[in-house]
Amino acid sequence: MTEHTVKSYGEELNHLTAEVTRMGGLAEAQVADAIDCIARRDAPLAQQVVARDERLDTLQAEIERKAFKLIALRQPMAVDLRHAVAALKISMSLERCGDMAKNIGKRALILTEADPMTALTRSIERMGKLVQGRLKDVLDAYTASDLQRAIGVWGRDEEVDEHYNAIFRELLTYMMGDPRTINPCAHLLFVAKNLERIGDHATNIAEIIHFELTGEEIISQRPKLELSK
Amino acid sequence: MPMASPLPPFRPDGARRTPVGVWGAVLIGPGALLALALTGGANPAAAITLAAASGAGGLLLARRAVRRAADPATPVAAPAVVDHPPPFDVILETLPDPLMVIAAEEADDLTGRRFVFANAAARELFKLQPRGGLLVTAMRNPQVLEAVDESLFAGVRRSVDYVGGGAQGREWAAHCAPLGVDARGARLALLVLRDETDARRSERTRADFLANASHELRTPLASLSGFIETLRGHAKDDVGARDRFLGIMQAQAERMSRLIDDLMSLSRIELNEHIAPSGQVDLAMAVIDVLDALAPQSKAKAVSFDPVLPPRGAALVEGDRDQIVQVIQNLVDNAIKYTPRDGVVRVEVFPGLTAEMAAAPRDPAAARLSLLTPDHLEGERYAVLRVSDRGPGMAREHLPRLTERFYRVEGQKSGDRSGTGLGLAIVKHIVNRHRGGLCVESVQGEGATFGVYFPMAKGEPTVAAPPAETASRALS
Repeated sequence: MTEHTVKSYGEELNHLTAEVTRMGGLAEAQVADAIDCIARRDAPLAQQVVARDERLDTLQAEIERKAFKLIALRQPMAVDLRHAVAALKISMSLERCGDMAKNIGKRALILTEADPMTALTRSIERMGKLVQGRLKDVLDAYTASDLQRAIGVWGRDEEVDEHYNAIFRELLTYMMGDPRTINPCAHLLFVAKNLERIGDHATNIAEIIHFELTGEEIISQRPKLELSK
Repeated sequence: MPMASPLPPFRPDGARRTPVGVWGAVLIGPGALLALALTGGANPAAAITLAAASGAGGLLLARRAVRRAADPATPVAAPAVVDHPPPFDVILETLPDPLMVIAAEEADDLTGRRFVFANAAARELFKLQPRGGLLVTAMRNPQVLEAVDESLFAGVRRSVDYVGGGAQGREWAAHCAPLGVDARGARLALLVLRDETDARRSERTRADFLANASHELRTPLASLSGFIETLRGHAKDDVGARDRFLGIMQAQAERMSRLIDDLMSLSRIELNEHIAPSGQVDLAMAVIDVLDALAPQSKAKAVSFDPVLPPRGAALVEGDRDQIVQVIQNLVDNAIKYTPRDGVVRVEVFPGLTAEMAAAPRDPAAARLSLLTPDHLEGERYAVLRVSDRGPGMAREHLPRLTERFYRVEGQKSGDRSGTGLGLAIVKHIVNRHRGGLCVESVQGEGATFGVYFPMAKGEPTVAAPPAETASRALS
């Protein structure tokens, strides 16, 4: 087609951000679909989720390569360096989110063979929506370089933990009540754990954005929930 | 969804067939782009929506454009100069549907797609700069991006559905159409989003309603028919039993009718959840009205109110008065139910807080959870309503499930006039419709506090009390 123009340094940096955003969109879609296939017992969708994970891995490798190239050739300083490193780190977090989504997809395939447990999958769906919202918020903050929004995501970590603990309890009640549900409930427990991990990654990305934009770590203690209460 | 059904014919040579002079027009203004979109295998549904949206003048224009499209000899570059209709760029700009023109130079540079035009609706939805930028900053949904790519490089029209995030979760249909190549050799495509939340949601709400109604009405119905059977059978001549049974039956029938009322209003609220309310409500005045209305209930239980309210006009929020009254009523009604005899229900309103301050905990030792958080908006101020009871409180693990339909905290009785289990679900959906937030705080054995916050009405910022002062009060 057209000849490759030599991109300017700034353009190359922007491009890296855009690439991470695109990868974020893919990760978001994977998480959303993974939750959907649990809620709707949709086996074909679950297979798609599992198959599509590869694309995230490829993208992550590509971003890594580009970021390294940019650091090596352009030798960025200060905010530009943080930009490149943030892209690198966020893409790694997103890739992990994709892995969790893939794992949820695999478990959804197994769950479609068991009897439906609507009350439980509803709880999982609710938690999933919450996690999805956090991932969306943090990616919006990243594209818009919006520090306040990133801090907002970072500060609301406990909500996901609360949901996780509630689901944990709910699942235990079910398993104690009817041992036949132990197998599917154990899978749902892992699904909830995976979602909780995705929520953690959103928090992690918020921290990376904070460092990218300010050059400083978020210092104050993150609201953390004690399990013993 | 009229556009999603028939896939338009594949036209790989669509770009070449259009007169070259037309592509020059691409640079003149977005108006020409609409005309182009319509020529490239015009979709009548799109034309009609575009036209209907931009009023009668637009209707004429769009019709003309369609007619032109049908006649290949007529050049499209200079339409409608004859009788001075509104210019195309104004029409596009005022369209309620978000619309973008996307340009791409290289096929393999997937992130290099740019939007060169975005109308006001698109700019507002994606918070964009008017001068264009990278497409992924606005839209990162992989399916939509794929559809855009197919329009750009395969020259086909595509429609995909996607769910936009945010607290209200809107559902969109994205339509892409090729627009050919511009003067500099960049390929162009049109991306139009149509809000289909209404249709999808009404489908789902109907299903939910039926499921809930059939499930929840079965219990009281079974008990009713049980009593009827007994009354016709061996309790036929037992006057005492008959009176008692009829009493129970009446209570059950009342419960069923309450349940239906609540389910209906929940369905209605859910349907409109994505449409922000218009109108202004004084939160403090609404509280006073509700407290007056609930006086009989509180008197019956010897529960008193302790209202802490700002002066009239200070807590003006954006909202639908009936719905806000319903929120206050559900919360206060709950508080009365759970407060023991001779207890106090505290109702407070604080205006002019930021979202963080509004959701901030008041008792650091309490179990606390935000049940609904609004989308972050820079500079938005909220008025908070807090309702505290002196009841048994709830353990931490119950908090995430409080707004679930029919969820009940184990081992707690809400008194003889039992609720439907939908009160807090209704509160949550109303508050979400108002773009507000909801949080709960509870210490077991000491009571619970529900806090809802609504965005303050815009326009009269001077009426509100200085935020700093109110904040310290709220947090103390």
